[in-house]
This record gives sequence, C-alpha cells and structure tokens, in this order.
Amino acid sequence: MDDLLPKLLFFPQHPPPTTPLTDTQYDEGIRAQITAVKSLSDSKLLLHTSSGESVLDFINPAINTVPYAFTLLATINVLQKGSKNVKGENLWDNMTGFLANFDPRQIRYLGSELSTIIETVVEFAHRSGQSSAAVAPVSGALLRYDPTGGMLTSKHLVLVKLALSSRQWADAIPTLDNPILYFPTPQKPPKSKLLCNMANPPNAYITSDGGFSRKLKYHEILEYFLYRGMIYIGTRNWKKAQQSLEDVFTFPTKEGAVSKIQIDAYKKWILVGLLLEGKTLGLPKVTGSGPAKAFHIIAKPYEAVAQLFETGTAARLKAEVDTGNVVWQHDCNMGLILLVLAAYQKNQIRNLASIYTKMSIQEVHTSTTSAETGARLPNVQATETLVRSMIADGSLRATLSAPPSLVLSFSLVGQALSEPQFQRELAASTTQIKALTDEVKHTDHMLTHEKDYIKWLQKQKSNGKNVVDQGVSGMDMDMDGNGDDEEDLMAGAYR
Amino acid sequence: MTGPQNPPSSPTQSRNKKTLLVTEPPKFDLESYIQNYEGRTRLERLLHIGICSTFLGVDALKLAVKEAKRGKDTKRYIQAQGHLQTIGPNEPEARRDQGWIEATDKKNQAETNRLQTELNGYKHNLIKESIRMGNEDLGKQYQAMGDLPKASEAFGRMRQDISISKHIIDVSRHLIEVATEQKAWITVTSNVQKIRGILSTSDEDKSIIPYLQAAEALASFDNGDYRNAAILFLGIDTGLGSTAATIISPNDVAIYGGLCALASMDRNELQKKVLENSSFRTYLELEPQIRRAIGFFVNSRYTACLSVLEAYRADYLLDIYLQKHIEEIYHMVRSKSIVQYFIPFSCVTLDSLNQAFAPPGKTIDKELVTMIQSQELNARINTIDRLLEAVPSNPRTELQRGALQITDDYAREARRRIMHMNASMGDLEVKGKRGAGHNMNLSEDLFGESVGRELRSRGGG
Repeated sequence: MDDLLPKLLFFPQHPPPTTPLTDTQYDEGIRAQITAVKSLSDSKLLLHTSSGESVLDFINPAINTVPYAFTLLATINVLQKGSKNVKGENLWDNMTGFLANFDPRQIRYLGSELSTIIETVVEFAHRSGQSSAAVAPVSGALLRYDPTGGMLTSKHLVLVKLALSSRQWADAIPTLDNPILYFPTPQKPPKSKLLCNMANPPNAYITSDGGFSRKLKYHEILEYFLYRGMIYIGTRNWKKAQQSLEDVFTFPTKEGAVSKIQIDAYKKWILVGLLLEGKTLGLPKVTGSGPAKAFHIIAKPYEAVAQLFETGTAARLKAEVDTGNVVWQHDCNMGLILLVLAAYQKNQIRNLASIYTKMSIQEVHTSTTSAETGARLPNVQATETLVRSMIADGSLRATLSAPPSLVLSFSLVGQALSEPQFQRELAASTTQIKALTDEVKHTDHMLTHEKDYIKWLQKQKSNGKNVVDQGVSGMDMDMDGNGDDEEDLMAGAYR
Repeated sequence: MTGPQNPPSSPTQSRNKKTLLVTEPPKFDLESYIQNYEGRTRLERLLHIGICSTFLGVDALKLAVKEAKRGKDTKRYIQAQGHLQTIGPNEPEARRDQGWIEATDKKNQAETNRLQTELNGYKHNLIKESIRMGNEDLGKQYQAMGDLPKASEAFGRMRQDISISKHIIDVSRHLIEVATEQKAWITVTSNVQKIRGILSTSDEDKSIIPYLQAAEALASFDNGDYRNAAILFLGIDTGLGSTAATIISPNDVAIYGGLCALASMDRNELQKKVLENSSFRTYLELEPQIRRAIGFFVNSRYTACLSVLEAYRADYLLDIYLQKHIEEIYHMVRSKSIVQYFIPFSCVTLDSLNQAFAPPGKTIDKELVTMIQSQELNARINTIDRLLEAVPSNPRTELQRGALQITDDYAREARRRIMHMNASMGDLEVKGKRGAGHNMNLSEDLFGESVGRELRSRGGG
C-alpha cells in the first residue's frame, strides 16, 4: 500500500503551490488523478499501510477528496458483496465525515460517486431503523455540493421524502430554504466552461448525464415543492409553506392540464393562507387560467371553509367542517383543518384590534366564539388564558393589565425599525436583487441559445424581418424599474 | 319625536317589511298637500297616509273614499273603504256602497267593450290616426280602472301608428305615468330617453323638460342610487310647476333632492351644487327645513342638522317613495356627520358622540363598530375610558415595511419566473394525458410511489 500513496496523493499538491493553478491546469491535474485512481482495483485501495491503518483513516477528505471518495466506494462495494475481510464498523462515520468535509471544487468531478455515497447513507440509515440520522448529512452534502441551492436534483427528492417520513424536519430546512431556479438538463456545458470554475452556476456542473442526478419528471418537481411545503407546515412556518405550495400550483402547464399534486397543494394552500393571514389570499398572478378554474371547482369545500372563516360565525364554520369530515380525511388534511378551527377565535381577537384600542377581557369573552365548540369559551378565565398565550407567542400585539381590572390594550402600529437596522435590511435586499440580476442574465443567455429560439430567429431572418433582440438581460433590474415590461417579456417566454 | 314602531336599531338590520305605523302628528296639512297632485297618484298617496298614519288616518281615508268614488277604480275604493271600516267604523264613508260598485263595474265593462269595438272598426278601415286614438282611449280607460298592465299594453300599441313627433311624446308620457305607478323604473328611464331624442327647441317642447328630468331623477332615487339621484334632482330646470303633478310635486323635488345630496355629497359639494344652485333654489324655497338642514351640515352643526331631519321624520315616512329609503338616508347622513365631526379631533368621548348623534335612549356604539369595520371611519374605540380615538399614522413604519415588502415580492416573483422559464426550456410543464377530457386534463400522476399518500398525511400533523 505504501508505494501506492504517492499515486493517490499527487493531486492537489501539498503544500499548495505559491501561484495558484489556473483553471485549465487544475482541470488537467484532477482528470489525470481520477484516471489514475480509477485504474486501481478495489482490493488495492483497501490494502492497509505498513502501520496497519486503512486509507480512510489517514487521508483527509477535505484535501484529498478524490482518493477518499474512491476508497470509500471500494469499501462499500466490498461490504455489499459480503466480504469478511473488511471491517465496516467505521463506515457510517467515514461516509458522514466525507459528506460534511469534501472539497467543493474537486467534488464537481465526482458527481456519480457522490450520488452513490449519499444513497448508501440513506440506505444504511434506513436499514438500521434510524432514517432520521441521515437527514442532516444528506442536507449538508447537497448544500456543500451546490452552495447556491438553486438546482433541484433527484437527491433533493430523496431528502424531502426522508425528512417527511422520519419527521426530522429541522435538519432539512437549510437546504429547502434555497429557492429552486434550475432543473438538470442533458445539455453539455460549453467547452470553455471547466467544471472547476467556481464562478459557474450549478447548471454548468450538474447535468442530467453528469451522474449525480437523473432528469426529473414534472411530477417529481411538483412533489418536491409539495413535500417542502408540508415540511414547513410541520415546522409551523406558514409563510414559507404558503410560498412553497404556490410553487406547486403555479408551475407551468400545457394546454390547460392540471396535475393532481397541484390540486392537493391548492387545498393545503387555502388552509395555510387562513392560518397565516386569516383570509384567503389572491391567487398569484402567474397561475394559469385553466388550472385556476379546476382548483375552484375541485377545492370547493375548502373555499367554503375559507369563506366562513372570514365572515361566518363559529357555529357555521364548525358545522361546515363537521359535514366535510370525509373530505378532509380523504385528502389527509385533518390536521390542518383542526388548526384552522383553533385559529378562528384567535383571528377574531386579532380583528378586534382594528376596531378597539382598549377593552376588558370580559368584552373579548362575549364578542368572540370558539370554532372548536361553536360556542363561547366556558368562562372568562379561558379567554384570558387564550389572550395571554397569543400575546406570549407574538401573534397578538397587545398588553394585558394586571388583575383585577384585566384591560387588554392593543398596540396600534408596529415598531419602526431603527435607522441602522433598516439600512441593514435594505442592504440585504439589494444584494439579493443583485444576485438575482446575474441569474436573470444567465437565464437570458441560455434562452438565446435555445434551439427553438435560434430556429425562430432563422425563420425571422429568412422572412426578411428586422429582428429585435428580446432578451431579458436588457431589462431594467433596478428597484425603481418598470416592472410591467419585464413581466410581459418573461411571461411571453413560457406561455 | 319619531313615530315608527321598531325602527331598525342598527343599520345592519334589514328594514321592516311590515307596514309602518306613524303615530306622530306630521307637520303638513293634508288638504294642501294633496292639492299638489293630480290623477291616480292622489288616491295612492291618500291611501298610503291612511294606512300608515294613526293621526291623519281617518281623514285621509275619508278623502280617499271620496276620491275613489269620483273615479272608476272599484278595487281601490274597496281597499280604501275597507281600511276606513277598521279604523273609523262610525264615519259615514265607512259603509260600503255596493250599489255604486256594481254600477261602476257595469259601466266600466260597457265602456271598455264599446272602445274595443270602436277600435276594431278603425282597424278594419285602416285609418291610422283613428287606430292610434282608439288605443289611447282604451289605455286611458284601463288606467282609470286600475288595470295597469293592460293600460301599458294599449298605450304601447299606439306607437305603431305614429305620424308626428308629438305623438311619440304622448305615447311615452302615458307609458311613464303607468310605469311610475307600477314602479317599473326601467320603462320610465327608457321612455324619458325616447322623448329626449326627438325634442325640438320649440317652447312647447321645452316646457316638458323639467317633467322628464323629474321622472328620471325619481327613477334613480327609488332604485336607491342616491348619488346619481341627487345629481339628477339638482339638475332639474325651473318651471316644473304642476306639469308633473301626476307623478311628483315641486316640494318633493326639493325634499328628495336635498336628502339625496345630504346623504351622498361632502360639504364643499353641498355648498356649491345645492346652496349656490340657482335653479334648485326655487324648489328649495318650498321646503325651507331642507335648506336649513343642509345649511347646518355645511356649517358643521351636525346635531342641529340631524335634529331638523328627525323633526320631519314623520312627514317623510308618510311619503309613498321616501318611506322605503328614509332609514338608509338618515343613516348615511348620520355616519357622514360622525366622520366629519371626528376629523378635527384625535379623541372624542363616546358620551359626547351619543349626545350629539344617537337617537334618544339609544347608543351609537354598534353603529361606530360597523362604521369602523366598513372603513368609513378611521378610528378605534376604547371601551374602558369610553373614547373614540383617531388612528395615529406612522408614515415611517409604513414606508419601511412597504419598501422591504416590495423588494421581497419582486425577488420572489423574478425567481419564480426564472424557474418557470427553465422548466419550459427543459420541457417539464405539466401535461395532460392524451385523449382525456377537454376541459379538465387531470394528469395521472400518482405521486410516483406508494408511500406518497402516507407521506402526505404526515405533513398535516
């Protein structure tokens, strides 16, 4: 084994050269190393050193990602064959250690290897009955592989399913929080774009034939958004849940087709809207008219509940919910429905703030009703407890005076942000928008190199028409820009 | 002060459908009031007062019976006499004159038959002018008998034989009158437009203009479109006089117009469009209390304005058109007064508001709540210290929140569109199955795996 070590470790140079390698040199170096390591057989990689250590024990995955990954794969391979010679007790630690520490630049050349390791981790955790343990490593690895988080891969799907079934939501959230912009496509990146160029967007190194992710079907994409929404529901993050569910049912459709997943999402979205804002939110502008029609027809019972939640009495809401029991159960929305019922009185109390500045708890008690029972709370103390809990969790901006008077005073306006605080928030928004501008440019670039677009251009040219570049990059990305123009251009792009 | 039983305690409560009973003495004199009108509307108005007013009931019904006996409408007579029998059985008019009824019915029948035969004769001879007049006579006969649908049918048939534009005016006038009694306001407005279309500049034609304006305004008013009605009433030219006495009197124009304006216009508008309106002033002089009420409102003396209106509530409840609308109009005036009253203050005690605006013995707390809910009034109630407090505005917070909200929305929208474009490029849109229904292409995706449903249920909890 000892003689093999130089072969394994010759790239990257250690210590690093004083002048960093150019991208081309780096590309050549790492490709040569991968070929070299691949040429070694599994058994050779698993040989121990003279001091009796395994390769995995002394190679640092953060520096020598390539040999570590291949050795790990060799170990997995051999273990799966049932070989007795290799010890597997450290395998879990090795794998998770690798996922947490691999070098983000080298790993771009190891898409399929990373994929296998992630799958093995999931499989391993599943077999030992501790699926939840795999959520954090997988989530971390995905973020490490694609720090922007904008590319949806088949591994993301594995992650949401894992997180949902093991109820280990929190660990998956950092990955899920990233908005999805790209999907794996079979297109080959242009030759000028080397995998190791760290400035490349994720779709330059994650492609559907790169080995890491297969090409997704539309229903898988919808599933991802729906499951992501459900994880947010699980963590009671209504705002994020609402946005994620919107992603499902605003997803572009062809010829008025509607997916059942979209309808499911719409149903949940209505209920989440009630929990978030206390009312039905307007459909986002990008919702297709065909799907919108289908939603309104199929999700009628939900819309009825929403209407009663906004304007009806507690008793009617409760009656409506009771009659629809079969529906909620069939759609697996019973949990949300119960939350909606519980939220009704809270919403009533919050609405009091738009009429009163101060009132006694007694008055709150007599002017609100619980939708869980369809009647007033049994006594004033129960109302007091409810109000106190709402003030405590921040859902009601008010103060309650000490007994015996128990006067509830609503605070009329929210706290103004301090100047530096506001500056910070604005700066954050600006960076966000700037980053977006790059994405827009990039998308525009891709669009103008689309086969169909080029065909269209040729046609236009042969027709002798003056072609105006309708690219998106020309648009004004400033905050004060004219938003309508841009929306039309973008809307035209996919309708 | 006021007389209706069970007036709606809150504006949300719908108006009573039952007949209102007005127990307060009205301020007008029945004889001079009814002299303002001509034709069938006299009987209708007398009957209305007779049914609603306990104070004038007997007198009005006695007049109604006399009025009915002068005409041909036996149904109306029976109605008036029946009511009188209940409230004033000792009056000589309360006895049913069966002989008169039978004789009149017989006469009516004979007359109708005669006119019908005549008309058929004209038709046979194809004399256009005679057919037209025959129809007119028949229409008048039906109108007098109270058979309004047949009357309007007969008048409508006149149109086929029109030869000069004067005839068009005649037809439409007849139709307006019948339709007004039927409260068929669409017919009224369409006929008003028909006359307008052919009016020449001759003096005779001009004299009909106020009549048309009044009819149109009344239509708009009874439809509950107060703002529009106010504008129409205020635009009526001088010289209505008794030209529209079969429908509306100049006094009514002043009252309806003034109340509609009060309910729908702000102080500047009231000053400019009502008080400084020279043609409307001639009408307003007939009803000085309306002028006073508007004057009080313009001068911010809302309590005085409301008390003037309250003082005349009984009168207005006895009007055939106003009765239906008076509660709503008063409510609108009151809410407007409260809003205006509150503008200069940051905080007002509820007691002072009650004193100024609430009907005696009632509070306006509930009304305030509905006004705040409907965002008419930008204020909050403090039930502990019994105050109405203005909402402090904080433009800085609003601006900050707005700015951050916009960037956030913008970013999200842009991202979603980028995502959609990439989906389109990758040919990833949702597609329906081929051969599925046209309208709803439910795609047959069953969540890929059998765990789908189970997974979904977990998310709910």
